[in-house]
Amino acid sequence: MKSFENIDVKSVKEAVNLLQKFQQQKKTAAVVGGGSEYLQLMKDHVVEPDYLINLKTIPGLDYIKEERGAFRIGALTKLADIEMHPTIHEKLLILSSAAGEAASPQIRNAGTIAGNLCQRPFCWYFRSANFTCLRKGGQVCYTVTGDSRFHAILGAGPSYIVHPSDTAPALVALGAQIKIAGPAGEKTIPLEKFFLLPSVDYKRENILTAGEIVTEIIVPAPKSGSKGFYHKVRERLAWDHAIVAVATVVESSAGVVSNAHVVMGGVAPIPWRAAKAEEFLRGKKLDEASARQAGEIALEGAKPLKDNSYKVKIAQDLIQRGLLASV
Amino acid sequence: MGEEKKGARFSRRSFLKSIGGGALGTAVVSTGLIKTDDAAAYVSETVGVGRGKTAVALKVNGKTYRVQVEHRQTLAEVLRDELGLTGTKIGCDRGECGACTVIIDGRNMYSCSQLAVWMQGKDILTIEGLAKGDKLDPLQEAFIEHDGPQCGFCTSGQIMSGKAVLMKNPKPTEAQVRRGLSGNLCRCGNYNREVAAVLAAASKTS
Amino acid sequence: MAESSKEFSIVGKKTPRIDAYERVTGQAQYTGDLQLPGMLYARVLRSSVPHAKIASIDTSKAEKLPGVKAIIHHGNAQVPWSSGGLTHRRYIFNNPVRYVGDPVAAVAATDRHIAEDALKLIEINYEKIPHVLDANEALKPDAPKITPNGNLSVGKGPFSAPIEESWGDVEQGFKEADKIFEDTFITKHVNNAQMERRVSIARWDAGKLTVYASTQGVSNARTDIAKDFGLPLSKVRVICKYMGGGFGNKNQAQDYDYMAAMLAKAADQPVKLEFTREDDFIGMHGRWSSEQHYKVGVKNDGTITAVMLDAVTNMGAYRKQSGNLSGTDFYNIPNFKKVVKPVHTNTVVAANYRAPAYPQSVFGFASFLDQIAFELGLNPLDMFLRNRAQKSKGKLAYTSNYLEQCIVEGAKRIGWREKWHKPGATAGPKKHGIGMALGGYPFRPGLGAATIRINSDGTAHVLVGVTDIGTGAKSTMAIIASEALGIPLNQIQLTNGDTDVTPYSVGESGSRTTAFTGPAVVAAAEDVRKQIFNLAASQLKTKAEEIELRNGEVFVKNDPAQKRALSQVVAQAGELIGRATTNPNFPKEMDGKCFSAHFAEVEVDTWTGHVQITRYVAAHDSGTILNRLTAESQIKGGVVQGIGMAFSEELIIDKVTATPINPNYRDAKVPTHLEAPEVEVIFIENYDPYGVFGGKVVGEPPITAAVATIANAIFNATGKRFKELPMTPDKIVRAVQV
Repeated sequence: MKSFENIDVKSVKEAVNLLQKFQQQKKTAAVVGGGSEYLQLMKDHVVEPDYLINLKTIPGLDYIKEERGAFRIGALTKLADIEMHPTIHEKLLILSSAAGEAASPQIRNAGTIAGNLCQRPFCWYFRSANFTCLRKGGQVCYTVTGDSRFHAILGAGPSYIVHPSDTAPALVALGAQIKIAGPAGEKTIPLEKFFLLPSVDYKRENILTAGEIVTEIIVPAPKSGSKGFYHKVRERLAWDHAIVAVATVVESSAGVVSNAHVVMGGVAPIPWRAAKAEEFLRGKKLDEASARQAGEIALEGAKPLKDNSYKVKIAQDLIQRGLLASV
Repeated sequence: MGEEKKGARFSRRSFLKSIGGGALGTAVVSTGLIKTDDAAAYVSETVGVGRGKTAVALKVNGKTYRVQVEHRQTLAEVLRDELGLTGTKIGCDRGECGACTVIIDGRNMYSCSQLAVWMQGKDILTIEGLAKGDKLDPLQEAFIEHDGPQCGFCTSGQIMSGKAVLMKNPKPTEAQVRRGLSGNLCRCGNYNREVAAVLAAASKTS
Repeated sequence: MAESSKEFSIVGKKTPRIDAYERVTGQAQYTGDLQLPGMLYARVLRSSVPHAKIASIDTSKAEKLPGVKAIIHHGNAQVPWSSGGLTHRRYIFNNPVRYVGDPVAAVAATDRHIAEDALKLIEINYEKIPHVLDANEALKPDAPKITPNGNLSVGKGPFSAPIEESWGDVEQGFKEADKIFEDTFITKHVNNAQMERRVSIARWDAGKLTVYASTQGVSNARTDIAKDFGLPLSKVRVICKYMGGGFGNKNQAQDYDYMAAMLAKAADQPVKLEFTREDDFIGMHGRWSSEQHYKVGVKNDGTITAVMLDAVTNMGAYRKQSGNLSGTDFYNIPNFKKVVKPVHTNTVVAANYRAPAYPQSVFGFASFLDQIAFELGLNPLDMFLRNRAQKSKGKLAYTSNYLEQCIVEGAKRIGWREKWHKPGATAGPKKHGIGMALGGYPFRPGLGAATIRINSDGTAHVLVGVTDIGTGAKSTMAIIASEALGIPLNQIQLTNGDTDVTPYSVGESGSRTTAFTGPAVVAAAEDVRKQIFNLAASQLKTKAEEIELRNGEVFVKNDPAQKRALSQVVAQAGELIGRATTNPNFPKEMDGKCFSAHFAEVEVDTWTGHVQITRYVAAHDSGTILNRLTAESQIKGGVVQGIGMAFSEELIIDKVTATPINPNYRDAKVPTHLEAPEVEVIFIENYDPYGVFGGKVVGEPPITAAVATIANAIFNATGKRFKELPMTPDKIVRAVQV
């Protein structure tokens, strides 16, 4: 790692102010939560900040609170705590499962929910010091001519990364919101709007600008009778990213869908809402045929690369599985 | 300041001959750094700020160590190189293999993925802290009996993850043990033995 | 010597490793744990281009970095690395560079971060040369030449090219066949990926070089270093007490040992050179990839009449090992012809990884036999039974062969007859299957040495050159010594891995430690027992032939009440030394092999491409099992490595930039706890007359059959034959969709 200075901050305000100050001084600075992922980016020379602003020393950002059925989760809450929280497990199984699928036990013990949402892609070209790819300021996305087996089939171009987070699809399917603190104050936006397509900006994965920090995730009270599941297809069963992941939250009564959320991971640069499939399912009886059709609709318009066409069928089948589990 | 061309002074043959005779020293830069003003510029431009050291008090295995560390030194490095606690190994330095697993405030984590300067006030437990004097931890005894170590390089990490599992769940199922250890790689493939050892240790402690 | 396990004192039991205590307490000192006063840290800079002349190297900026003490590169450190390139001259720094990863410089500095910073300050001008990545392309006449002699890797002896072997008359054999089948199987480069990254510490003291090496062979490493540095053997010392795995890629001395030594000489301080995990994946070597084309003639009942193998193995930029393919060894083949072409390409070097010539070609050949069984409408179990090895190379008998029992017992244990079904028969997305394959490894004794010292208190030192990469070799040698001496294990101290102190060992590779060093330990024990008996004879006033030593007690054979403690006997002499160098005879007209039969049950999820191994049975013939505990662990471990090779592991090189893109554990998909099934081990025990206490070898056999076993089980589950490794989810999903 290139040498840097670590600064322990005591409040969100202090962090925001520091970020602003360094930006004005044209010095590179970054915030770090759990640290596992960010340190690795530094070891790979993907990022080389002069200043590391340690958020772990801010008290009061590590909490899970239930308020009138909704959940407020502090940005620094560990993934392991979300996974093991009895009420989250009982009422938001999809989120507890998703948190439990991330990386490995050691990473889940250190990693935070905000870090999981803000993590950079694990594309092997992006993470390699031997490639200065498009996302890192170079000229070329090496996936196009290279090995694309783990890359995007939807929403991609000119960069073809997939968003690596497990909690992101689950939280988007739950209709979560994200609270952001910045120089202009605080704002809360739907999590779905947090992520950026490469066609909008191929150098960033989310809308955070200089000086902005995630402070909280808010999950609305799940509708009664709704069932949510997170299914992840992966090569290794531990410490591996999704080849395809599907988060489904279905509200139904007597087998008829009143509302469905279907969000995919591992297939696009952002958690991918299958909006057309959700529309199709509304009011339909959920059975094998309609679940299958929903899967097909969800993958309409998929543009596989040289090596990843296999993801299409896996995604379709996984959506079917996820939906049928909800009945 | 003319810099002599390093390769030109010695022919290949004389270079190799000189190894035995101990005359190699001048063929490459050895002692005597060339400290010029340029050097200072290099430091900040290319190798970053924060080259100074910070004092940190690390509480490891119940004992407090005061050390001076660079911010970029990981906990794993400091444990091994500054504190001489080499039982914690570094297998990948990327948070992917688990050989560096220690327990921090009751949670097993990759020490290669934590900076030493973040450890102020934390309670750190390493493999060296498991035995009480001559008395081994039941996990360590079970690893001996069930052939837990083959090459032994992942062993400290496996045991620490096993310890973390048992600290939270004294009577885990086999599936729970496997999951609890799933962040620890073992290239010798000794997984059956490591799981058996943790289960055996669990059955011994009431 | 005892002929059956019933008469052994310790051989055959489950004995915990003698150094398990050190390993579970963190006290074991691996090379990277050692700190020497004034020690510097070093890192290696590697080529970023696949094939190029180095026009210039400018290290001036790096030299100015505070803390940098020495920098070496091809311009000022032309040290030959003889064992690194067996067909053309290889140096520690080469010009031209021949693959992305070829070392170009090394820096020693006061700490490892400064060393890494310095790497970035070294400026290199490359003049690119055309490169070639594919082995078949490399064989074409107009391919860029990687060595002066071209790309077919020609050397001497076992490093000739092509590798040819034949017996009988294949053309005649094909004429006798009822049916002839031909097909091609492809395997990939897989890294050894041992947990301990490469590290070497070098120091010079008054012209003597000591290298603390993470090596499998201290003796070989010393020989290499002495030769390439032009030093007498007595001025080189190599030490390795504990090492964290190697599986074949840490034998002998390697370029980084030499670099550490050169940097230490230049800086006049000890140097610890450390590899990153990326260095380890790229800068060392892995298992050679292969393209195997088989032509097999069979009778309608499945009997093989002839086999022809035409293959290409990709050795990467330099040739370090054979590149052979020997998976046909476990079958009766009356007429055989093999032509294997080891080829150079501008890629990461390939050399030894556990049973180097086997898992690739067992995958090829055993998959093919399984396929042929299917075509003939036969149960694979009958096909393998019928064709199992009974004679080697068509004519030689084996010193011991219990392959049939392995097959029969293993099949019974897994319930083969009840569970086997026609391939692809299960309905629904999750498919059940069962598969099997045969494996094993050569066994032959060789040169070994041992010294045994009996202290005046009756305790003993056993000095052997072994390093113990995790096989338990130290424990095995101690067990052999205990058995041969008649002294309890807890009175024996084993000293290993120091060329100044311990005598020659071939190094832990080729599963040779037990077969090579074991006999030397036995002979050294006999040597010192003779001395003990002579002393005791005079003390007990009888003849030496009348004396026995067992359990640390010396007694008269037909009057055991007449006894002495060993200490009492030895005290008279002070200290006794037994020594031996052995190279046991092996009959020219016989062949030595271990054999195995592996069986696996799988469930294939055709929607996700995930394969669950629900049962795994490994039946092995390794002669007498010296330590049941560590031997079983070896079998289990080898199977897990086979699982990785079968499902997920390959070094992926970007075709456009010739750069490896997955040189780390996560991207290389090395198997985790959750990939490992419970492996049930069956030992078909017997006594091989040429083995120590009747034992053959255990270390390498277990991986050989595993890959094919799993592939055949997947075929049985899905009806789809996989001819290319690894069998990743995308390949499985694509295959079942067709």
